[in-house]
This record gives sequence, structure tokens and C-alpha cells, in this order.
Amino acid sequence: MNSLKSFLKRDGWMLFIFIGLLAFPFIVATLTGSSPTGVPRGDRMIMRGESVRWQAVLIEVFILSLLAMSYNLLFGFTGVVSFGHALFFGLSGYIFGILLEYTALDTGLATGLGIVLGIAASGLLGLGIGLATLRLKGVYFAIFTLALAEMAYIFFSRLQLTKAEDGFAIGELPVWLDPTQSRLTFYYITLAVFVVGFLLLRRLMASPTGAVFKAIRENEDRAQSIGFNTLRFKLLSLVIAGMMAGAAGILQVMLNKKVGPEMLGLTYTIDPLLMTIIGGTGTLLGPVIGAAGLHLLDVGLRDQVIALGGASIRIADVWGLILGAIFILVVMVFPYGIVGTYQRWRLKRQHRGDPASAATSRAARRQSG
Amino acid sequence: MNDSAPVLAIENIHTFIGQFHILEGASVAVQQGGITVLLGRNGAGKTTTLKSVMGITPPSQGSIHFRGEPLAGKPSNVIAQMGIGYVPEHRAIFRELTVKENLQIAERKRGDLARRGDLIFDLFPDLKRLYGLPGGNLSGGQQQMLAMARALVPENHLLLIDEPSEGLAPVIIEQLMRAITRLTDHASVLLVEQNFRVASRLANDYVIVDEGQSVASGLIANLVNDDALIQRYLGVA
Amino acid sequence: MLSKSLGGKRGSLVAILAIYIGLLLVAYLNSPNLGNFGITVLSGLFQGMLLFLVAAAMSIVFGLMDVLNLAQGAIFMIGAYVAYDAQHPGGVIDLTAVVPNNDVRFIVALALGFGAGALLGFILERVFLRPLYVRPIFQLVLTFGVSLILIELAQIVWGTTPNSWVEMFGVRENFFVLFGQRFSTYRLFVVGFGFVLIIVIGLLLKRTRLGIIIRAGVEDREMVQSLGINVKAVFTLVFTLGCAVAALGGAVAAPFLGAAPSLANTYLLTAIAAVVLGGMGSYYGTAIASLLVGLAVAVAQDATIGTSLGVLPSITPLLLLILVLLVRPSGLFGSSR
Repeated sequence: MNSLKSFLKRDGWMLFIFIGLLAFPFIVATLTGSSPTGVPRGDRMIMRGESVRWQAVLIEVFILSLLAMSYNLLFGFTGVVSFGHALFFGLSGYIFGILLEYTALDTGLATGLGIVLGIAASGLLGLGIGLATLRLKGVYFAIFTLALAEMAYIFFSRLQLTKAEDGFAIGELPVWLDPTQSRLTFYYITLAVFVVGFLLLRRLMASPTGAVFKAIRENEDRAQSIGFNTLRFKLLSLVIAGMMAGAAGILQVMLNKKVGPEMLGLTYTIDPLLMTIIGGTGTLLGPVIGAAGLHLLDVGLRDQVIALGGASIRIADVWGLILGAIFILVVMVFPYGIVGTYQRWRLKRQHRGDPASAATSRAARRQSG
Repeated sequence: MNDSAPVLAIENIHTFIGQFHILEGASVAVQQGGITVLLGRNGAGKTTTLKSVMGITPPSQGSIHFRGEPLAGKPSNVIAQMGIGYVPEHRAIFRELTVKENLQIAERKRGDLARRGDLIFDLFPDLKRLYGLPGGNLSGGQQQMLAMARALVPENHLLLIDEPSEGLAPVIIEQLMRAITRLTDHASVLLVEQNFRVASRLANDYVIVDEGQSVASGLIANLVNDDALIQRYLGVA
Repeated sequence: MLSKSLGGKRGSLVAILAIYIGLLLVAYLNSPNLGNFGITVLSGLFQGMLLFLVAAAMSIVFGLMDVLNLAQGAIFMIGAYVAYDAQHPGGVIDLTAVVPNNDVRFIVALALGFGAGALLGFILERVFLRPLYVRPIFQLVLTFGVSLILIELAQIVWGTTPNSWVEMFGVRENFFVLFGQRFSTYRLFVVGFGFVLIIVIGLLLKRTRLGIIIRAGVEDREMVQSLGINVKAVFTLVFTLGCAVAALGGAVAAPFLGAAPSLANTYLLTAIAAVVLGGMGSYYGTAIASLLVGLAVAVAQDATIGTSLGVLPSITPLLLLILVLLVRPSGLFGSSR
């Protein structure tokens, strides 16, 4: 009973948001008078109405959050810069898609196998890249991943088998999973994957392993000299991040029912990086807030047109520039992002209001000196 | 300038490196034309004192005055330009640069090296022979000479010399000591030296640093006879 | 230790020489005649020189400042756009009325490209990188972001479709005939210009005070600063010059490659391949590796013309980069660190 109370006090607001997300399709349906499951036509469902439209938006937020969280595990928690995160995202997407479209397997079996193989391949890819380059200085890892992702992008853009740059559509998914048939189910599935991913990451970062990740970020040489095999921990971080990004890639393919080389493109590396930095590098919630904020902004502004002097500019045309400007601004002015800045502000306020804590910190300093 | 005013006056400085409070109130004075030696155990804060003067690890409290001017807030290149030469420990010469280039880079005005060439080669005749070789090819003693010569290229009023005798053969140390004694014609010296025998022969004044604080100071001649003080802070009899 | 490092260098030289000879042999065997072989080699040297202009500063800046400037490719692209714009009528800076002579206007275009690079480099270092030296991981990320912004900006100002060069000028139109083949004088001119630049920058590093400071700074920045040298100012100067040279590279390349957004990432990745292959921070290593990568791309282009392997030339530098990182990440001339 007591533990429930402390849980509610600590995490109650998260539970509140979770319940909100669970009820979200129905709330939108009630508010707009639309159906949360779409409109039936014959024996098929047509995805029409505000509720299913907003479900799709949130599904994308969950997927991007997953991708950004996985990026943050590497960049924010372990201090490893990757410029090829799209590799994991796209590779598992392609594996999943190829199993569904290019093998004679039964749809259900192909889906299951695709999920397992796609995620496993992403993890293995992370292991391979890590073994090859994580021993080196950080820049080498960054450029290795950049080059590898670019190569994968060029390769799949030219590969006739997978319809080159057009990509290929997924004809059939199990009906209960298919977002064009059962979007509500798919909404809850992505929500579940996202929540599980978040909780796992939270568990991981609260564990001793997570503490080593952070120690590596702060000073790898010191972590090494204390006696940790830092390479092994960085590999672990990379493998987990790879698998999470891989899972996000598979969900993306399910949502769009399409696989294409754009999944391997720079966008899916830049976006999670941006979301992480804006939300708060090295914080648990930061990437989620970054992903939600940026994607909702994108959805909301995409079709807006602003008049500037005589010319009218579609936001979608300058979206990249806006993102870039936000990015630079955050790096220069708010390097801790939204969540990080808030945490520091709260910490400072607590300290200011409490003269005793200032004295303790002085005493602690004297001891360490 | 007043004759009795010290060239360098460090007053009660506190210096942090990261979260570590390294100096917790150190005061040191160097007299015009004199050699002051910083003594103390490993990790007492001697090197940090020199780095605080240079502005490499600027102090957060206290003051440092050089020839009457405060150094607070100045970057290390500006401090150097005021006339302070730094000879760091482990002979931080540029290994890929030739001896000549190692000296050239220290020029502050065109022709510094030409003006000081005679003095440098007089003090360290070996360097003339090694002029075209990369610094990395020099022996430990030669590198130490090069590091000191480098600090002599511009007209410095004060030299900060960190552990010059470390890891060198006695013959070489003897040569370096002669050179340092002769340096005082040109500049005052703040010296960090672990070798008490060397320190006591070179210096006029001493300051003992212990756990980040200056705990004793005075004429070195008085310290030599104060066995209790030596035993307590330096652990040598 | 000395002899060992010399031995290592000698091994690298032998390896490089072997690769060069191998590449030339492939090119030769692939050519129906000497003229064709000559064209492949000239094309390789031309591309190698362009790469060198992007890669040289990248390598020096990395050695000195520990910053890998990922915006270098985008600055090359900006150089190309500025030169294109200045040379052609109807652009943002329309010079056709002011400088009607095409030849003179091209020289002005080159100067403008150089100036644009210098300006961008100065702003990038002074405003954006300087506060971030305490957080190097953010510097890397920031240069990447600046690169994206420059590409976006170029697309907004000059459109997303590639512009091909039409306004000719003297040396661009001239050809000379050798072994029964027509060679572009302009390419030869660029290759010669590149060689001169390799030597000039080499001398600058070897002989001038700035060069000594740069080489010393690569070893120990703190000591250089303690000698009374304003290292921050040196950083700004070196970075500015580096970006200016990269933009000049883009301007010089524009009459052949045109101006397109894709130049940025292509040249960034190819230059990185050259920088890593040469050994990060090694100047002559970068020069040799740039020419090697250029030659490799040209040979791949020649070998795959009219085949289904058309993708090979564009992934050749990436393959080289990945291979070097796997086998010898310190590069051919770098110290292993």
C-alpha cells in the first residue's frame, strides 16, 4: 500500500498520461463524432474520420519516439555519435518487407519471422559495426556509420529487385494488425511497444550497467581505468539501440505498408538526433518530448502558407531550414534541451531555497579536495 | 618600480580543477632577481600554482600580481606576453618541430631569437649542434635545455620552471643548475623542485605547499637547518 | 623508434605506389588506346585535385583543433553555386552588365566563391564552434547541422534541380589533341593549379611562422598558448582559410560539375575518405590520398561505362573509406592514436 502511494507520487503523472493515451482514440471520436475504428464498407473498413486520422499521427509519434530513444541511448547516455542510425531503421524494414513480399511464406508466419529476423539483424549489425570501430576515437565511428548508411542507401536505391528508389508496397498484413483495416489495434500495439521500450530503457539506466554507460559518456578513459571493459559496454549500448531502432523500422513499414530507400536516408538519422537534442540529450523523457513536439509541429504546419513580402512560402518547402535553425539554436543556447533545462532549473531552485544544502555542498567539496 | 616590491605576488589563491579543490589558499612571492622554490610532497599543488599564474587553471579566489599588475581574467597568451616564460614539467617541447623551430615559435618580436641567440648557445652549447634536428630526437637532458632555452627567447621578467631535474643524470643536472643560476641576470625564477639538494643550492627563498596551502616560507638558508620542518612537510632528513 | 617509424612510412609509400600502379594498369588495360588512357588519368587527377581542396583543410583543422568539419562538403557546394551565379545572367548576383567579358567574369566568380567560403568559415568558427570547444561531441553534431542548413538554403535560393554550366569562357572551351584524343585545357589547368596549391600550402606549413604554429598546435595547444600565442585567433584564421579553399574548389569545379545540392554530400564523403586514407592530420598524406581516391573514381567510371555497374563510381570512395577504417584506421600516413 505504501509502495503504491510512493509510486503514485513519483510516477502518477506518467500513469495519467498513459491512461490518457489509452483513451485517446475514444476521446477524439466522442469530440468529433467519428468512429474510432473507421467506417465499414462491405467486408472492409475504410480509415476515414478524425479519430483514425489522429491515431495515425500518434502512431508516428510512438515510432519516432522509439527511434529517438534508441538514438539517445547511444548519443545521450553513452556518448557515442552515430550518423547512420537510419541503417538499423531501414535494414530491419527491408528484411521485414522482403520476407512478406518476396517469399512464399504464409502472411502470419512471414510477419512473425520478419519481426524476429529484422530486430535480430539490427542487433547483429550494431555488434558488427561496434566491433569494427568502437575501439577507435569517436569521430571514426561517426564517419563509419555515415559511410555505411550512405552506401546502403545507394545500394537499395539501385537494387532492381526491391524496385530501386520507388520501393515496394506490402500487399498483405494479418488483418488484425493491418493499420488500413484495424488501425485501433495497431494504435494499441505501437503504444505498447513504445511503453515497453521506455520502461526497459528506464530500468536499464537505473541499473549499474546504465551507470557505466554514463561514466563512459563523462570520461571513457577514467571508466576504463576504474576497471570497466568500456568496449563491451559500448557494444551493449549499440546492440540495444540497434534493436530498438530496428523495431521502430518494422512498425513504420507496417504503418505505411511500404518499404523504400528513404528509410535508409539521412532524414531518419537527423530526425532522431534533432528530437534527442531538442527534448534533452541524456534524459529519459527528452527524446519522447522532442519526437512528439517536432512531429506534431510538422503535421500542424506542413500545409500552412505564410506571406513574406510579395512571395508566399509553403512551410513544407522550408521545413528543413526551420528544423536546422531550431537545431542550431538548441545546441548553442539550450544545450540541455527542454527536459534537461527544466531539471537544472528545478535543481537550482531547490538549492536556493535551502541554505542547508549549500553548506553540505561546501563541506563535500572540502572533503574531495 | 619599487625595489622591494616582489615581481610576482600570489595572495591566498584558490584553484579548482573540475570539482577538485586543488589550491586552498596559497601565497607565494618572488623577489626581483631572486629564485623562489616551491617545495612539498607530490600532489600538494605546486604545479597547479604555476598553472594558476599562467592562467591555464585560473584561480577562482585570491589575487596574483605580476610587476604590480593583476593577472585575473587574462588568458594565458596575454599573461605570457606580459613577460612570463613557462617551462612545464615533462619538458613539453614540440617533438615534430626542429630545435630551431622550437625556438622560433617562442619569438614575440621579430628578431628575438637573433638577439638572444648568443646567450642561449652560451648557456646550452649543445643546442647549436642539434639545431636542425626534430625535438623528439633529443635526449631527456637536451629536451630540458631546449625547453628552458625556449623561455629565454623573448625578454621575460619571470620564468616558471617545473621540475627541471626530474629523471635526469647528475651531470646534466649540474649543467642545468649552472644555467639556472646564470638566468637570474635576466629574469626572476619561480621553481618547483623535488630534489631538495638541488633546490637548496639554487634558491634564495622557499615556500612549502601542503594540501593546497602555503604552510611555511622564508629564506632557504634558514630552512636547511630546520630539520623539524623538513621532516614534517618534505619527508627528507 | 625513429627507424621504426621510418620503416612504417616506407611501407606506406610502397603500398601507395602499388595501388597507384595497379589503378593505372587497370585504366590502361581498359583503354582501347593511349588517348583514352590519358583521358581517364586526367579525369582522375582533376577529381583528385578537387578532393584535395576540400580534404586538405579538413585534415589540418582536425589535427589542430580536433574538429571534423562536416560542413566542408556543403561549403564546396556553396562555392560552386556562387561561381555559377556570378558567371550566368539572371542570378542573385548578376554581373553580366558589370563585367561583360566572360573570361574576366570567371575570375571574379572564383574570387567571389573564395570570399563566400571565407565568410562562412569565419562565422561558423567564431559564432558557432568557439563556445563549443568544451563539448566536442556537440561540435561534430553542429557542423553536420550547418551542412544541412546550407544545403536547404541553396535549394531555396537556387532551386532543387541541378544547374549545368552554359556560359563559357576562354580556357573552358579550349581543347588540345594528344594521341588522337581531345583533352580539355581547363581540366589540365585545374590539375596544374592544384599541384601549385599543394606545394604552396606545404611551404606555408613548413616555412612560415603560421605553419610552425599550426604544426606545434597539432602537438600541444596549451603549450603554444603559454608561449604567448593567441591560439583562438589561429583557429579562426585556419578554419576560415580552410573553408575558403573548399569553396574555391567548388567554384573551380562548377564549369564541369555544374551547381547542385548533391555536390555537398558527395564531396563530403569522398573527402572524408581521402582524409582518413591519408591519415587524419597528415597534410601530404591527404594530398596523396586525394589524388588516389580521384584516380580510383575515374578508373571506376571508365570501367563501368555502359555496364550495369554504374553505381560503382559513386560508392568507390565509400568502399575505400570503410575498408581503410576496418583495416588501418590510422590511415596510410597517420600516427596510430
